[in-house]
Amino acid sequence: MPFTILTGGTFLSDGTAKKINLPSSADYFRTWNLTQIAQTNPNKVVMAEWFGPKFGAGASPSNDGLRWVKTNTLLQIDVFSNSTASDGFIYVTSTPVVEPQSANAITLITQAAGAVVSQTNTYSEGDILQFYGTTGMPQISGMTFEISTVTGSGYTLIGLDSSGFSATATAGFTRRISKALAVEPQFLYITGISQAVQAVVTTSVDPTAYYVVGMKIHFSIPAGFGMTQMDQLTGTILSLDATTYTMTVDIDSSAFTAFAFPVPISTTLTGSALFATLAPAGASTTRDPNTYVETGYNFQFQPFRTGQFVPYLLLGAGAQSPAGADGDQINWMAYKLEN
Amino acid sequence: MSFQTGITNINNMAPELPVQASEDLLSTPMFNLIHSFGVDLHHAEAYIGKTTRMSRFERLSTDGGQLDGSGIDPASEVPVRTDIDATMEIYAKSIVTNEQVVLWENSKTLTKFTALLGQWLREKEDLLMRDLFSSSVSYINATGGLNGDQPSNISLNDVNNIERLLLGNDARTMLVSIDAMNKFSTGPTRDAFIALANTNLTRDLQTVQNVLLKANYPSQEGLRPEEYCSISRFRFFVSSKGAKTPGISTLGNTIYTIPMYGLEAAAKIEQNNYTAIIGYRPPWVVSSVAQNSQLYAKFAIARAITNQNWISGLNVTTFQPS
Repeated sequence: MPFTILTGGTFLSDGTAKKINLPSSADYFRTWNLTQIAQTNPNKVVMAEWFGPKFGAGASPSNDGLRWVKTNTLLQIDVFSNSTASDGFIYVTSTPVVEPQSANAITLITQAAGAVVSQTNTYSEGDILQFYGTTGMPQISGMTFEISTVTGSGYTLIGLDSSGFSATATAGFTRRISKALAVEPQFLYITGISQAVQAVVTTSVDPTAYYVVGMKIHFSIPAGFGMTQMDQLTGTILSLDATTYTMTVDIDSSAFTAFAFPVPISTTLTGSALFATLAPAGASTTRDPNTYVETGYNFQFQPFRTGQFVPYLLLGAGAQSPAGADGDQINWMAYKLEN
Repeated sequence: MSFQTGITNINNMAPELPVQASEDLLSTPMFNLIHSFGVDLHHAEAYIGKTTRMSRFERLSTDGGQLDGSGIDPASEVPVRTDIDATMEIYAKSIVTNEQVVLWENSKTLTKFTALLGQWLREKEDLLMRDLFSSSVSYINATGGLNGDQPSNISLNDVNNIERLLLGNDARTMLVSIDAMNKFSTGPTRDAFIALANTNLTRDLQTVQNVLLKANYPSQEGLRPEEYCSISRFRFFVSSKGAKTPGISTLGNTIYTIPMYGLEAAAKIEQNNYTAIIGYRPPWVVSSVAQNSQLYAKFAIARAITNQNWISGLNVTTFQPS
């Protein structure tokens, strides 16, 4: 079977999942962990292989793939079974959807500024999760959140202050979704707005990944969130903060009524069932012809553009996964069969 | 020498060619293309970058303005210009065909494949515009339905709420009214905004209070086949590729997104001389032994939401889980 090497490259693992954009559909993909392959008896994955849909019954199951483990000075094969498949290769061919991953049950979301979620998981720092069916905390059912301080048993939602909620969440589900939507800049969920001369808006994800100073944003604030005066206003971003997931805008909200999540009418329904959101509304670009200083423009963030390139392979991270552990040097190559 | 006796029939003398081609191919399925016709079309020139800027001056403040006779001039106002940018992107598809297919196939293979590529051009463009709507617009969850889910199924109250939002932001309707006529079971449609829905919602659309199905419009003249019904100030167009996200409602059902908008809410930008290119590469170019030829199609497109005030929409589920 003749084949073409589509593309290849190398990266230094940071311990998180790695996304590899492919210029066309791929049939075979391979990684080499150059760091571990040089070790004696590392007992870690040193090479991983993925077989695409063309192989039919021999194709790699989602989130799996063949993994070669070096257990002494020789190379020995150790193939993970389907039943324990995790953090392998995930082949994504369409947007806007989820990196194919089954729903994962949560057992608790606390009432706190920076709500803490209890859930057995294999997520990575900075993953974006879609929450739904959150019993006891229906206000956030359907919203997406960025997660941080991730362990195998839980993580923190910096963008959610649930201290004012009436109850903890006792059940629910999450699915991991792409960090970028099909088109960027994307709309974001709002979880808080301060009453201030320059309103501070908290979002459910780190806004610096999507917006920059000078961009305009349009607010959609349903009546159930209290701050009705903000609804349908457009403001300009004055500053952003990646540690608190906030952005400051040039809208004086000091005399507005307070922003608050709607009060649930039951453990599963909010009554209003609405979300506060913001969406991109352009920018007011200025350029000083004397100093040549340009403000309000950034080619990387402002223009509407494709956010999620497809197809791509998502490489799971970790010592037993193709993307390796933090500090591992990974080489990769994608192949396409010619028939 | 023995020989068989009896009647010669299809059992002992089967036809030489047991199949024959019908007079033409069956239709290639194509989904409704609904996501492009309601947007503004702009054009980008070559050789001046891949980013297109669309600019709008915001209206001046109407506060104050009265002269008090003192001779002091009123404060002057600096106009505000809003820039909407979009990046041009190129998409392509090809079909490589071995000469033996062309040589021994009698259905004008390359002609058919060219038609397939032409269909791909328009379908891909439609999906790209759909993705713009689903990624970069704020949507309101439907709450007026009775299916007990969050969001609920669509209701008249939800549709009216979006009309209120758009009118409150001075959005302009896109479709003109259809005057009433003296025909049984018909009713006039008002000038209307556009709404784009997945075909899975048609059962629910039929049951929305005051819905006017397309067949009950006073006139069918000029209507697009994709149109389904009129509710309040919106005319609904449906496609099997309308935006949806499976399994994320409160009850774990599919959420459907319905963009609803008026004039100049969104734009499609075409690159001049690059809107629809279909080409052929002969076998002596594609293959070292001149056995494979290639057909290709490509186009360039940029897309943008040009005014968030004039677009909104609903997230809904279906009355019966889907």
